[in-house]
Amino acid sequence: MEWLIVIFFGLWAFISTLGVLFLKSPVHAILSFLSVILAVSGMFLHLGAELLAGLQLVIYAVSIVVFYVLVITTIPWEKVKRFGKVNLTQLLLATPVLILSTLITSSAIFEVEFKDSPPPSLESVGKSLFSSYLLPLEVASILLLVAMVGAIAIGRKDA
Amino acid sequence: MSIPQAYAIISLFLFFSGLLGIIIRRNLILILVSAELMLNGVNLALVSFDRMVGGIEGQILSLFVLTVAAAEVAVGLALVVALFRLKGYEGSSEITNLRD
Repeated sequence: MEWLIVIFFGLWAFISTLGVLFLKSPVHAILSFLSVILAVSGMFLHLGAELLAGLQLVIYAVSIVVFYVLVITTIPWEKVKRFGKVNLTQLLLATPVLILSTLITSSAIFEVEFKDSPPPSLESVGKSLFSSYLLPLEVASILLLVAMVGAIAIGRKDA
Repeated sequence: MSIPQAYAIISLFLFFSGLLGIIIRRNLILILVSAELMLNGVNLALVSFDRMVGGIEGQILSLFVLTVAAAEVAVGLALVVALFRLKGYEGSSEITNLRD
């Protein structure tokens, strides 16, 4: 039963990843990326990381995908469509190398026998986040503020 | 093979297909989307390795990865919009000069 869930999410992620790579229209590729995000969020839920599954939905599926579509609307559609095709020579050159590196890395995962420990509770994650990881959390908030100011400064009309 | 191992394999596939997308795509916005795909793969790998060794550090680290991804999207898309507005570029092959 558990393996059925793994196969379902795996196939879902596989098909929509192919859509991200090869669809011509940028909007279709971004919608297919949204599908990847939903599949990964389901995988997080299956792995017992409920906080990350929720944040994946809120941050990626809601804010980032909407931001991409919004930026596409600011650029004239003829310009966007001109570069829809993939680069065929680079595809032929890169695919064998990347398949080989995927196989090598996954053989490293297969070699070691790991135990399947129970998922950590949400309470312990929250406690650790606000005690031993308090400084990185604050630095992350400053990083978000700096990124916001930087995005406004770069994207202004008279820049 | 346990279930976290299967998810680690899936995360490898996500990471390397994101890398393939960065190599083969010509549209600047879709190159950024492929980078997001790579970040998703890294997050999934962190959480599944977390299940293998029984810790919580992986989940916390992938939370920070999520934060950095949001910041990266904001700045990256602002750069794409500024590049288009100043030069009219939209494809990666058109950008050959750093200035002027």
